[in-house]
Amino acid sequence: MAAILQVHNLTVRYNGDSALEDVSFDVQAGERVAIVGPNGAGKSTLFNALLGLVHPTSGKVEASGAEFGYVTQRSAVDWSFPVTVHDAVMMGRITRMGWLRWQRASDREIVRRCLEQVGMLEYATRQIGELSGGQQQRVFIARALAQEATILLMDEPFAGVDTPSQEAILVILDRLRDQGATVLVSTHDLNLAVERFDRLALLNRQLVAYGRPREAVTPQSLAAAYGGSALWRGEDYAMVLGDIDCCGEEGHHHD
Amino acid sequence: MTDLLELLVEPLRYPFMVRGLLASIMVGTLCAVVGSYVVLRGMAFFGDALAHAILPGIAIAYLLEINLFWGALAMALLTAVGIGYLSRRGQVKEDTAIGVVFAASFALGVAILSTVQSFSVDLTHILFGNVLGVSNTDLWLTAALGAIALLFVILLYKELLVISFDPILAATLRLPLTALQYLLLVLIALTVVVSLQTVGLALMVAMLVTPAATAYLLTRRLWHMMIVGAIIGAVSSVAGLYLSYYVNVASGAAVVLVCTAFFAVAFLFAPGRGAVWTWLRGRRASST
Repeated sequence: MAAILQVHNLTVRYNGDSALEDVSFDVQAGERVAIVGPNGAGKSTLFNALLGLVHPTSGKVEASGAEFGYVTQRSAVDWSFPVTVHDAVMMGRITRMGWLRWQRASDREIVRRCLEQVGMLEYATRQIGELSGGQQQRVFIARALAQEATILLMDEPFAGVDTPSQEAILVILDRLRDQGATVLVSTHDLNLAVERFDRLALLNRQLVAYGRPREAVTPQSLAAAYGGSALWRGEDYAMVLGDIDCCGEEGHHHD
Repeated sequence: MTDLLELLVEPLRYPFMVRGLLASIMVGTLCAVVGSYVVLRGMAFFGDALAHAILPGIAIAYLLEINLFWGALAMALLTAVGIGYLSRRGQVKEDTAIGVVFAASFALGVAILSTVQSFSVDLTHILFGNVLGVSNTDLWLTAALGAIALLFVILLYKELLVISFDPILAATLRLPLTALQYLLLVLIALTVVVSLQTVGLALMVAMLVTPAATAYLLTRRLWHMMIVGAIIGAVSSVAGLYLSYYVNVASGAAVVLVCTAFFAVAFLFAPGRGAVWTWLRGRRASST
């Protein structure tokens, strides 16, 4: 299978301060990639560089024929805005419609189908502020689908979302994978990243490790990404570490 | 009934009253539509500042004996772009940039005007509006510029909605974010200038904010908010004008007070969201 996304030696510096340093990795079509790292590790910078919102100092991003869809972090949006679920998803159609054009029946049909895919069709006429956090996240996934994006970038989709909603989002991602959609997710939840994703990128300005989650996450790579002290303070990092250290590849589940 | 009709028709015998009403309806509508963005983007301070900052433009136009409209328009555009530029540079916060530019500009206007003896009467009109002094030329200018502003809001509805709701999405969709943001500032500037004669610069922010904020409490979609706001703005303008005719109060102030009354009613009684219902629900919940 050909790589849908190739990142070559990507370096981004802001006023001389490096945010990303020589990051290279490939993503195959249909893969689900978790990007994990401490605050300030450059996860957002990486997304911005992929989206073309920041220009790399050096290196390049190749995504032949792929369209990026950005699933905005929930905290970045004013949810009291007078916009319905349908309106919010229709925003993904804007550039497809073109300037000075109104939505057509075909656009509305696509919005309906995308809402159906994320199980939010019955909420179409609700104002977005009336939804739960998980539902809001699903609406934004539908918006990226309406954009006809082939690579979805999701910025902390599980932050502030309860477990059932998190599960609902993961089920949607499973379904999207079956349709060949590629998904990159930034998250703080290392456990989730290890158990539910195909690839894991451990990022701390440099790409510390990249590969199958249980191969990428080792005591050494975690220590390199988080630093020894932070590692032991963070509860779930310690949990994952313990998992791998003492129980090997069995993949015990923690509640 | 005929008495009421008589009350409504009677002022229309005066051409200045008809012109005033037409101007008020246009201004009320335009302010609410453009004001929807002012409310949603939290730009009330910007709107207020912009209104005040056009004073030197008016003063210079007065000294040069050209239509005050053009002086105001030039100054409004200059200020809008200037504030946009200063806050984009990121060295000062946006509200600080607005504070600096607006106070300086207003002071310059007062300084220029203080050198002109005969200006005192007109200054009151500029500050508080003089809708009954609207000339035919003013009416046409209001209609033309107002129509241009509305046209932009309608034609770029979906783009302006996205840059206001989710600028990051707008950027990833390759929309010209900066240009659209400047356009919005220019539309607000245009609206302020068009409305100057009706409400005056001291009360301008009320026309930009209050009808749109009232509509915000009553609706759930942006275009509904704009339409409801436009109706509230137009009705308030007409009601305020009649009020000023019969009770003999300043017209700009009357219009703003009527707007505020609408807002108060919506704030208290808006279906599902009004303060009264929230309070009643709270009481019922605590009593059971």
